[in-house]
This record gives sequence, structure tokens and C-alpha cells, in this order.
Amino acid sequence: MIARQLCMRQSRQLHAFNRQARTLNSLNRFYSTEPPVDTTLQTRIKERSAEIESRYQNDAVPERISRRRAEQLAWKARGERKFKFQDLGSSVTDAYKPEDIIRNPPKPSDVTLELLLASQTHLGHSTSRWNPQNSRYIFGIRDGIHVISLDVTAAYLRRAAKVVEEVAARGGLILFVGTRKGQKRYVVRAAELAKGYHIFERWIPGSLTNGQQILGHCETKVVNAMDEEIPKYREALADRSVLKPDLVVCLNPLENVVLLHECGLNNVPTIGVIDTDADPTRVTYPIPSNDDSMRAIGVIAGVLGRAGEAGQQRRLENAKNGVLTYPPITPEHLLSPERLAELAQIEAGNVAANAEAAEIANKLDEAVQSIETEQASTPQETSQSTESQPEPQTQVPETEKPAEPQPEQPQTQAQAPETPVKDQ
Amino acid sequence: MGKYNLTALRVRQTALRQKEAGKTHQIPKWIDVVRDIPPAQVLVRNQQQQHQLVRQRLKTLPGASKPQVVFEVQEKRVKPKKASRMFLPTEIKYEEDLLRKEFFRDHPWELARPRVVLESTGKDYENYDWSRLQQPGKRLDGESVVQRQLWLLNNVPDMTKSTAYDIARREFYRLRLQEDIERRVAAEEAEATGATFGPTRLEIGMELENQEYERWKVWAKSEAQVQEQRAAAFTGAPEIPSTEDSLGLEEGVEEKQPQQA
Repeated sequence: MIARQLCMRQSRQLHAFNRQARTLNSLNRFYSTEPPVDTTLQTRIKERSAEIESRYQNDAVPERISRRRAEQLAWKARGERKFKFQDLGSSVTDAYKPEDIIRNPPKPSDVTLELLLASQTHLGHSTSRWNPQNSRYIFGIRDGIHVISLDVTAAYLRRAAKVVEEVAARGGLILFVGTRKGQKRYVVRAAELAKGYHIFERWIPGSLTNGQQILGHCETKVVNAMDEEIPKYREALADRSVLKPDLVVCLNPLENVVLLHECGLNNVPTIGVIDTDADPTRVTYPIPSNDDSMRAIGVIAGVLGRAGEAGQQRRLENAKNGVLTYPPITPEHLLSPERLAELAQIEAGNVAANAEAAEIANKLDEAVQSIETEQASTPQETSQSTESQPEPQTQVPETEKPAEPQPEQPQTQAQAPETPVKDQ
Repeated sequence: MGKYNLTALRVRQTALRQKEAGKTHQIPKWIDVVRDIPPAQVLVRNQQQQHQLVRQRLKTLPGASKPQVVFEVQEKRVKPKKASRMFLPTEIKYEEDLLRKEFFRDHPWELARPRVVLESTGKDYENYDWSRLQQPGKRLDGESVVQRQLWLLNNVPDMTKSTAYDIARREFYRLRLQEDIERRVAAEEAEATGATFGPTRLEIGMELENQEYERWKVWAKSEAQVQEQRAAAFTGAPEIPSTEDSLGLEEGVEEKQPQQA
């Protein structure tokens, strides 16, 4: 105890000594962390600044130029100084921004092994948790975890992207499911790109097998080939069975066993991200990849979303040229013959009424412009009403819009734009 | 279907049969898609890739004038694998692993330095040239030493592991020292232009120790007083001067205590 106290006293004294007189600064030079404070430079800088100030004052003294001119010069100088100041420092390039996967997802053609490696798709689970059915996707063992083969991942990802694209091009309904924490934005973005639908909270069991009860009140609509709604058939949809997706993309099959089972029962093809502990037989098209990394999921969802976007574009272009990539639905499918006849009568009456109105208008005012506009509006209506006969493009391919599978979430609808998608 | 449920893989067949049987009226839209892009083959186990440790060396062979590149493969185990282990994935091995292990065994505190593990493009390796230790866009750390040592082993004729280690290590130490000096100079410059730094870690530690000492002093005083009173009660003859002494003492508590005990 005595020795300790002595030491402490001394150290305290030493400390105080150090504080008061900085004679130990010469020693401090050898430490990297504590630089000396006393430097002679400080005073020099003060002198320098004084010098500069005096010089400026001297410059200001010969005031021959007009005040306006001086102000102009000052303005210019300030601008230059600002410009120079902005030149200072460093500009950051090639920085990693996590948002980029959402803002600008990679296309299927952009998928490289480097991208997959950087987004950690190769990391599997601990070797003890593996499902031996995945052994063909596994490259080896490293630090006690399985490493998924990157080339296999790339191949399967491209294949799945192709499937999404083709289904989208044929006007199929695509449902993106990612119910894990943090997957929400990726799922929503992918659905937005592919004009599909998304679930990010929970798959309500029975949404497919017992859809009439669970999704019966959801909204649907009939659209034409250009994805515009045809309101005429709204009534016809009231007693139709609930829509089924044509393709389900599941980003976490482990938690969505029920969904995949229902898809199997309803004969819906599925795409799933299969980690080393998942069962690859549950999905039609597995994508062997790490499903725990958000970045990996972002890349996969983005690629699939982009593929869907390409498919939808193709479909719309074809529709513009009058080609349908899918068998359309005729009005007879939707409505009974009597109802159709009624509608036709109503349409005919409308046309006649319009024609009469036009005639009356013709007689009443002689203003040419107004008549022209009237005539321009009437033919449009008639062509829309009699679309069942003339060209195949307007031949009412039935398309319905199921509202979100989870109508209790208003934000779901808010995030997904109104995207009419073809069906049946 | 027994153990496996293959419904997901047989969607197309099922759809066609359902149409044939009249269960559904329409063939689904994806039927051609699934025909063109058939589902994945599952439940097939292939022979796993056997990873072996391959070493690349530049050696001057007795007859040749120029050094030649030689690849050495680690010998395989004599004992054959069990049949049940045939399809198990194997351990991935690289030569760096051993070098890394050795370096971090010798320099465990290198592991305490912060390190960037994120890759933005995955193509960082394209910018690196390990003929020198410092790389653009990479902080100098243990991994640099390992890569440099590996480069030396692969590209310098007749290089041994320990020599390569020594060379890489020496360069590493020199650069670390330089970093140290640069940091010190930067701090000096900053101070010279008016920057002030707070108390250093040593000063903070000293301050804390002082506080603890003061606290102990108060406690020791009260403790000494109690003991003295107890002693006085035991002897039965209170001696005023001795208590005053004990109250008056400030620094020499320890010296007094053994006397009383």
C-alpha cells in the first residue's frame, strides 16, 4: 500500500508538473498520439495575417474606380473564390449505395459472378443444417458453412428471369412474395416493375384454396389489350371465381410452406430462392442463393422484376401492332346472350341518340368548330361500344384486377401503382 | 408420392391432364413457357468437386537455364472415402489460408483494426497489383501482407515461404511506421494552425485514478476512526490525544494502522 501511494503521489505530481510547464514536450514528440502544443509557428501566422490585412487596406486606399465598378469586381472575386473552394476536397466515386438496387435494379443480362459474389449470394448455412437435396448447388465447405456455387446461381437466376419474362409477355398474373423483415421494398419494387402483385406481410392461408371467402370482396376489372379498363363488364365480375396467379415468386420459401403447398394444389408454377437448408422440391424453378442477405434478395428480386418489365413491354408493343400474345376472352364468356343483346340495344339507342343530337346541333348553331368537335367525339364512342366485331386488338381480352390480397393494408395499395394485368 | 412431393415440378403434366379430363376449361397461359423452359432437375446427386491445395512456384530446374513455373498439388489421402461420404461437399482450401493463419498468429492485434468487408462491384481485385504492398483503395492491413507474400511465392524464382514472409513483413512494418509519422505530423500541423485536441487517453486514465484515490482516502479515514474508537472502548481508558492524532492524519493512514492493530 505504501509503495502504491507513493507512486500515485509521484505520478500526480508529475502530471501536475506536466500541465504547468511543458518542458516534456520534447519527449512528447516521440509519441504518435500526443503532439506538442507549443510551436513557434503560431506567432508567425499572426504576423502573416496582419501583413495581409494591411496590404488589403493599402489596396483599398486608392479609390479612383467608381463604387459600382468596385462592387462588380468584389462580386466577381467572390464568385471565383466560391468556385475555387468547391474545387477543393475530394469527390467520391464508385461508392456503394444500398438504395441503388431498388432505384436501378440489374437486368438479367447484367448478372455476373462478381455481382453475385459482392451481394453475398454464395453464403449458405452451417453445414449441419443442410438439406442434402441441395448438394448439386453447393461448391464446397468454407469455415463451417456451405458455399453455393455462383455459376449455378447465375444460370438458375437467368432461367427464372426468362420464365418471368415469358409469363409477363403472355399476360399472366405474377405474384411476388417476400414476407421476411426488410424484404418489403424489394418485393414492392419488383412487383412495380413487372406490373405484378406483391405480398410482404403474411400469406393468409387459404387465399388460393378458399379464395372466395378470403378475397371475395376484392376488386377486379376487365381491361383491353392496352391495359385500359372496360367498365361495361364490371357487373359481370360480381359472381366470378377469385383470380389465381399464373406465377408465384417466393423469396423466402422456408416461411411460406403453406403458400407453396396451395400453389401445388392449384397447379401454379413457382419460383423460389433456395438456401442450403431449404427444400428444392417445393418450387418449380429454384434459385439456389443466400436468402438471409438483403442485398442478395434485392439483386434477385430486381433481376426478376426487370425481366417482368421486359415481358410487359413486349406484350404492350405487340398489342399496339394488333397482335395478341394470348388467347383473348370473348364477351360471351363474361355475359349471358340476353344481357349482351340488351347491351347491344342500349348501344344502338345511344348511337341513334347521339346522331340525333348531332343533327339538332347542326341545325341549331352554324358555328363550324363546335360541330366538328361534336362529330369527333361521337365516332369514338361507337367504336368503343362495338368492339366485339371489327379488329382483334379491341376484342376484349378479359383482364381483371384483383385488389391486393391483403386489403387491410392501405399502404400496400398506395405503394403499388394501379397496374391492370391480364388474366384468364 | 411417397417421401417426396413433386407436384411443383409437374405443373405442366397436371395442367394438361386436367384439361383432358375436363376439370378445367382452359389451358393456362404458362403452359408453353414451362414446355420451353422445363423445371429444374432435382434429387440428383453429382460427384462433388474435389478441392485440392495447389501451389504455384517458380523454380530453376537443374537442366534449364530459365526458371520454370511448377504447380504442386497436395498429396491425396491414401485412405479412400467411405461410400456414404462420396457425395458430401469438400472443404475449399487455398494457399493463403496457411499464410493468413501464420501472420495473424504472430500479429494478433492486427485483427483488432477496423476493416472494410463490403464490396461494391466485386471487381476490386482488378485494381490490385501485388508486386507492391500498397494498393489504391485498400487500407494497409494483414491481408495485404498475405497477398504480397503469396505474390512473392508465385512470381519470384526459388522463393521460400519464410523469406517471402520476411520481405512482406518488413515492407509492412516500414509502411506502418510511415503511417505513424504521417499521423504525428498531421497532428502537429493541425495544432500549429490552431486546432486543440482534448485530453489524451493517458490523461483521462490518470484523472480517473486520482478520483478513485480520493474516494479511497475518505473511506480509509472513516475506517481508521472506527477502529480507533473500538480500541478505545476495549481498553476502557479513552485517550483524547490519540484520537485527535488519528483525526488529524491525512496521508499516513497506512503507517498508523499496523501500529493500532
